[in-house]
Amino acid sequence: MPVAVAGAEVAVPRPHGWIGTASDWVRGLGIAFALLDVVLLVLAWRSLRSSAVTPTARGWLLVSVGLVPIMVAFLSFSHGLEASTTVNACGSCHVMTPFVQDLRNVQSTTLAATHYKNRFIPESQCYTCHSDYGLAGTFKAKVEGLGHVWRYTTGRYELPIKIASPFPNVRCLSCHAESQRFLNAAGHPKDVLPSLVDGTLPCIGCHGPAHPEQKKEARAR
Amino acid sequence: MSPRGVPARVLRLAIVLTLVFNVLALLVMVHTTPIVFTLFMFGAQPLFVIAVVLLIGAVVADLRAKDLF
Repeated sequence: MPVAVAGAEVAVPRPHGWIGTASDWVRGLGIAFALLDVVLLVLAWRSLRSSAVTPTARGWLLVSVGLVPIMVAFLSFSHGLEASTTVNACGSCHVMTPFVQDLRNVQSTTLAATHYKNRFIPESQCYTCHSDYGLAGTFKAKVEGLGHVWRYTTGRYELPIKIASPFPNVRCLSCHAESQRFLNAAGHPKDVLPSLVDGTLPCIGCHGPAHPEQKKEARAR
Repeated sequence: MSPRGVPARVLRLAIVLTLVFNVLALLVMVHTTPIVFTLFMFGAQPLFVIAVVLLIGAVVADLRAKDLF
């Protein structure tokens, strides 16, 4: 799918830079190092003899098992961590298909689709709204994601999919809190702002639905 | 890593484990999904750690065989 607005007749590609992005380089270098290491491992295997390990074999082993894989691990981890936050990654599990379809539907008026089609969030839209701020938020989101993978692969989930806990206002406020549009909105009188900040008045209550209603279907597995 | 040290099959095992690690790493690079990334994190990386431990063990055994450690 083109990077630009899905469903629109004219698609404008996002700037990509003349030598690609840092992500492109991490991915490209990761593939190159992994392929290089496969070749080095073959050479190390061939240099091993059953009777003795030659100095040449030691060299191949040190490089192919001890050094190059560290680079591969770093690049793969870095790429995987970033790539697993994309909308495509979230949509790779079929239970997420209705949500991602709605997200990319320019006709949809749900909160998620409105944020997506107007690019209020430039990328990783699912992850941005469903993870908390900072390192602890990232870690928590990854642990929760691990739980999602476990439940998805073992079939231990029920449809319709529901959010595990009420959506916290702090995720909305991390972008909107200092926005003049938010602060001066008629629906946000000054006496209501504290309730929005402490979360007693949920943003979603007035600005929902965030996603479309999901039909109750048979258990997928 | 002489005949008195660690057998070559231990080092071959380390090579195979590193190969599996590389294949899963390539999979992460080419087609990242949450399941593939989880496999890499909790499958491939421990295999690589085991391979490194085997290699370090082989080096230590070799040094001991030569009375250098």
